[in-house]
Amino acid sequence: MTNRHISRRTVLRGVGGIGIGLPLLDEMRASASAAVPVRAFNVFFGLGIPAPLQSEGFDGVMEPLRPLADRLLILRNVDQVRCDESGINAHFDGSSGAFTAEPPNGEARAGGPSIDQVVRQTHYPNGQPRGVTPTVIAGTYFRRSRISRYVHSYRSDGTVAAAMQEKPRDLFDRVFGRIELPEGAAGEKERFRRSVLDAVVGQYQHFIGDNSPLGAESRSRLADHLDRIREFEQRAFSQRREEPNGPQLPPRSRIAHGGYADPGGEGIDMDLAALTSEWRLTADLYALAVEMDRVRFGSLTFLAAGERLRIRGDYEFAGRKVFEFDDAGQRDATGAKACSHEWWHDYKPESQNPQLRAHAHMHLREAAYFLHRLDAVRDANGQSALQNSMVTVSTESGDGRHSDVKRELSGVFHAISGAGGRFKTGQILDLGSEALDLYNTMLDAMGATDRLGPADREGRPTDSIRA
Amino acid sequence: MTPGSRRPTQRWEFAWFEVARKTPRRSPINRQGTDTSVRLIPARAQPQEMRYAEASARIQEAALPGGLRAVRHMIASCMLWLGCFHALSGGGLAQDLPRVRDGLVALYDFGSLKGELVPDRSGFLEVADTKLDDPDAVTLAGGSLMIDRPTRLRSLERVAKIADLVRVSGELTVEAWIEPVAQGEATSAGIVMMSNGTSQHNFALVQAGDRFEARFRTSRTGTGEAHPLRTPEASARPALTHVTFTRDRTGRARVFLDGEIASEATIAGSASDWEKTTLLIGNGPRGREPWLGSVYLVAIYGRDLLAEEVGRNFRAGPSLVEPVPVKVSARPTLFEDKIAPLLASHCLDCHDSAVRQAGLDLSSRESALAGGDHGNAIVPGAASESLVWLMAESEAMPQNRPPLSAAQKQALREWIDGGAAWPYETIDPALDGRGGHDLPSAVRRLTASEYAASIRSATGVDLSDEAARLVPPDLRADGFENTAYNLTVDLRHVEAYARLAESAAERIDIKRMVGDGTDLADSRIRRMGERILRGPLSEREIDLYRTLAESVRSSGGSFEGAVRHVVEAMLQSPRFLYRIEQQKGDGSRWPTDAHELAARLSYIIWGEPPDTALSTAAAAGTLHDVEELRSQVRRMLADPRAVARSVEFVAQWLDLGRLETLRPDSEQFPLWNPQLGADMRSETIAFFKDLVWDQRRPLADLLNAQFTYLTPPLATHYGLDGQGSGLRRYELAGIPSRGGILTQGAVLTKGGSEASMVTRGLFVLEDLLFGEVGSPPPGTDTTPVPASAGRSRRAIATDRVESPACGGCHGRFEPLAFGLERFDGLGSYHDIDEHGNELREDGEILFPGSDEPVAYATSAEMMELLAASDRVRRNLTRKVTQFAIGRPLSPTDDPAVDGIHRRSQASGGTYASLIEAIVTSDLVRRSQTEP
Repeated sequence: MTNRHISRRTVLRGVGGIGIGLPLLDEMRASASAAVPVRAFNVFFGLGIPAPLQSEGFDGVMEPLRPLADRLLILRNVDQVRCDESGINAHFDGSSGAFTAEPPNGEARAGGPSIDQVVRQTHYPNGQPRGVTPTVIAGTYFRRSRISRYVHSYRSDGTVAAAMQEKPRDLFDRVFGRIELPEGAAGEKERFRRSVLDAVVGQYQHFIGDNSPLGAESRSRLADHLDRIREFEQRAFSQRREEPNGPQLPPRSRIAHGGYADPGGEGIDMDLAALTSEWRLTADLYALAVEMDRVRFGSLTFLAAGERLRIRGDYEFAGRKVFEFDDAGQRDATGAKACSHEWWHDYKPESQNPQLRAHAHMHLREAAYFLHRLDAVRDANGQSALQNSMVTVSTESGDGRHSDVKRELSGVFHAISGAGGRFKTGQILDLGSEALDLYNTMLDAMGATDRLGPADREGRPTDSIRA
Repeated sequence: MTPGSRRPTQRWEFAWFEVARKTPRRSPINRQGTDTSVRLIPARAQPQEMRYAEASARIQEAALPGGLRAVRHMIASCMLWLGCFHALSGGGLAQDLPRVRDGLVALYDFGSLKGELVPDRSGFLEVADTKLDDPDAVTLAGGSLMIDRPTRLRSLERVAKIADLVRVSGELTVEAWIEPVAQGEATSAGIVMMSNGTSQHNFALVQAGDRFEARFRTSRTGTGEAHPLRTPEASARPALTHVTFTRDRTGRARVFLDGEIASEATIAGSASDWEKTTLLIGNGPRGREPWLGSVYLVAIYGRDLLAEEVGRNFRAGPSLVEPVPVKVSARPTLFEDKIAPLLASHCLDCHDSAVRQAGLDLSSRESALAGGDHGNAIVPGAASESLVWLMAESEAMPQNRPPLSAAQKQALREWIDGGAAWPYETIDPALDGRGGHDLPSAVRRLTASEYAASIRSATGVDLSDEAARLVPPDLRADGFENTAYNLTVDLRHVEAYARLAESAAERIDIKRMVGDGTDLADSRIRRMGERILRGPLSEREIDLYRTLAESVRSSGGSFEGAVRHVVEAMLQSPRFLYRIEQQKGDGSRWPTDAHELAARLSYIIWGEPPDTALSTAAAAGTLHDVEELRSQVRRMLADPRAVARSVEFVAQWLDLGRLETLRPDSEQFPLWNPQLGADMRSETIAFFKDLVWDQRRPLADLLNAQFTYLTPPLATHYGLDGQGSGLRRYELAGIPSRGGILTQGAVLTKGGSEASMVTRGLFVLEDLLFGEVGSPPPGTDTTPVPASAGRSRRAIATDRVESPACGGCHGRFEPLAFGLERFDGLGSYHDIDEHGNELREDGEILFPGSDEPVAYATSAEMMELLAASDRVRRNLTRKVTQFAIGRPLSPTDDPAVDGIHRRSQASGGTYASLIEAIVTSDLVRRSQTEP
């Protein structure tokens, strides 16, 4: 990464005047290697895009992707397995299948790994370089009745690959944060603390070593814990103390989190500017983490599956006003019935569906925002991080009415980046394939030998995506 | 990466067994019928009733010269075969079983020995093959290895499996068929031992003159040299002898000679520090304990054989019949593993005993074979004539649903063509339709509340407030916040643990922690460790903490500083932050180690570590005694911590935390204030504590008990007259509309502001009746339909129930909410809704697995029906069990859960009886191991 030019001070701008000043010191980089690292990110947005709207190309709801057209391969006619568990709705189904192509195995566990984690395990079986956060999962979302609605990075056993960072400050701390220990960390106290950590590490090493009494899954869990301890150790003892020009903590979140974000499924009122401001700050931080080589794998979520928001505000794109959001007023309802996701349930292919179109357009505008940020990151080979990374954008089904009853999760929107020239870009492709085959083809191109899905299933490679 | 994969269910038995499989009828959710245990029948008689020792002794009496010992062996061998013939011809005890295999971890025989390698024939995954030091020092004769001059067999590597097992169980059996030569001196001569290469034996079976001696090293015996268990004088004779040493977990040790007890004593203490060591036969580790004689067979078990099992092995004789693995037919498991889940998930929504679309009921063998309106659904042996196959193959079925996958179709065809074996009569979708939740065993991180309680218990420092602020909350997964697979760790956890450990260490009472003195001796580290880490420390761990203490002292730190830093390190150890248990093994379920069992008990019952009494019982090995276990459970249930833990259960089960942030539609409920949510939570918790702990009533009474606890505002909200101030008990005998958790705000708010019949009905079906229902077909418009003038919520629900497209599923759960229609989305009671529609409370319940719905006239009658339902009771058993073991129940747990339920109900069906049944079940007393 030595060839990259980085301004001394990059200002991350969020809508609504939120901004954080970040002096991008060279020493903030996790790695001084000139090689472009292997990276894979999953980008999820809620509520989906009905298949008929995808056929409109960039003239319809996919307009926000037009500026990125030569960076992406947009895939239509991609079907997901029916990912539902009994009694669980289609939002959860589609969400669980995104990036895993497998049904869930519990409320908080996918049926298998997500594609980013397979790539991670393939290329970094013994861990990533010091300073790189193993996996970063972040997002701006509100519906949270089940974890799979908003987490999109899973380990091989289907458990979440990392903790969700749902506030910009949390994401900042997770990636850039330095741990301040009480009474400073110098001198004798630091020596003792290091000795304590040495003893702690010794215990973990025993329990993940050959003489461990534990099984494979348990050892893997403790190995993860040991990785976190080493991160802690580095941040507490090795990172430079904060400098006057050092990174500034992002402002406190101004939107609802935790149980307040999803009060009994009734939905909440949301100002569009507040929503996009927080999301863009999160996206900025994530992109910065990529730029600083602090993260190579993970996922980013803009709105959960089946999101329930009553959005208000003027929606503009490319200098024009696209729509005026007023879900409650336009639906003439209150509570859950007034939430924007009802537009998806009301979708009729033969109708104009203006509200759904506007919301879907906005969802893609925000997904594109993050992609643009990645595209602004220059790697050592002169290409952007978006070009070099395996970035997969997908969503849930939203509503199956556009599909036949035998395949509710059909025509699920996908877009992928070039992944270092492995995949075609600049096209909209009617793939006509299972997402499982798409993902496995992507994994193959990324050099992974592990495959998603049942071991005895005969794969149907989607070679048309390859460059 | 296979979705929903279960552990393979292929079963292997041995050729000397025949397998008989039962096909019992079972109750709808009684998994007894799926018990795949096999009945073992001896395939052929084994040589029995041969008093080998006596025969050999008679030969010995003939005083053959030493050089003719080989001849003597030939004669002895002939006697063995005569014994075989005797048995086969009917003269033996043909009903006797062959050698015991259960628990076998190492097995050596010499009948077919070639070369210097003696393989371990136990079949245990970890192989412990042995090798002769000096092949020229032995002679093979008559199925035995004659050791003519000092040598030994030594395992090629140090053996872990025996130490692993004994550490956990405290049990061991060492068996040897030998024929010693006369030994003049009473010096120790090693027959079988495990040694670390010096003088420290884990166990030793030796000959000392004319006696046998057995040693077993424990925390009380030092190196194991002390306190040998000796057989009587002149018991070690130059004759074929069956010697067996057993030691059980309570410390009872016995030596059997030829199947009879020859000596008995107690070897107290724990084997928790056994390490893997070398297995030796014929001499000690330094070659100074040579034993001379013939060895026919050596076997080691990771458990203590019962006296009758020792007798069985004696009667089986010294020759080993080679077991030939035979794969049991997989055909019956095809139904259990693939067909029953397939029918449950894809067919029974429309074709069960209640719905019977097209006259077809595929839920039972009898009805499925009877077919439906269109003919034969299943023709055993002929898929091509079976409508089930034809419709699935053409993808006409499932109707309006995704088709079966290619693998499912193949399994279906294979099953029908193979005879359509149906090993139990009724399919229960709730059991058979579940995907695999089986996961490899994972260590369990302490939950946030368990962590705070453990810090307090271990150090005497209460950091609850700090911990609540620093430790990230645990997220709900599969109904509870303590679901092991979701207890992952983030950097914030590590930072919180480090800060809190330092904080606790700074505040500990040093004297209380280590006593007087200024020397952090090993004994003090051991004592601290046992307390903080919930069990004995290994030597490695003592070294680790000693090194830390010395490092602090050598850097100028004080004694107190050293203690504090050791405590700080221990509080960040995986042994503190996780529930670490022995998991490596052979893939079977092993007895849970005593200290691990103590921890399981205490975290299940209290949510915190074992107290002194429990730890003492664990250290003494008495916890494995069921009566002692029961006694401990009862003592612990009398402790207030058990009440607090039970409240955690009910709060998580009913998701009471949701009430803190409840924000109903403000237009519909303008008078709502958040305090009402808090009052609703308090109501349910106080109600639960009164019923479960004060009155000790059956858990099922949660559904219909005629009292509750209300604050004046909540009473007003419910339409009752508020009394006094604060939370007070209200008798509901005169208020028929109220009574039981389903009439409390905490549950009634689950339906949202609209009081959704769907959500409420699904809660009753899934969380009370343990029922299952399929998801809506693709393309279904699931937009809630609001009530309006002339069309109540019930009328809307009734339309769905009566709709041919929806009724198959909605008829199963929406009527379960009809009895709650008069309660609005926040639990207030009305006779008419906001649109002027009259509300009703009558309805009917279709219990899962039942054909006929049961009608009720009032909500009170509905509560009575639910409270009286065994289905509801079983589901309560399942919920408490899931919370106790901290993971979703898997199909393989079902027999154990069924046993828990039966025992609990026999003891009154109370929470206490349920907890006692859980902790005395195999789910807690045994641990699943991984190969």
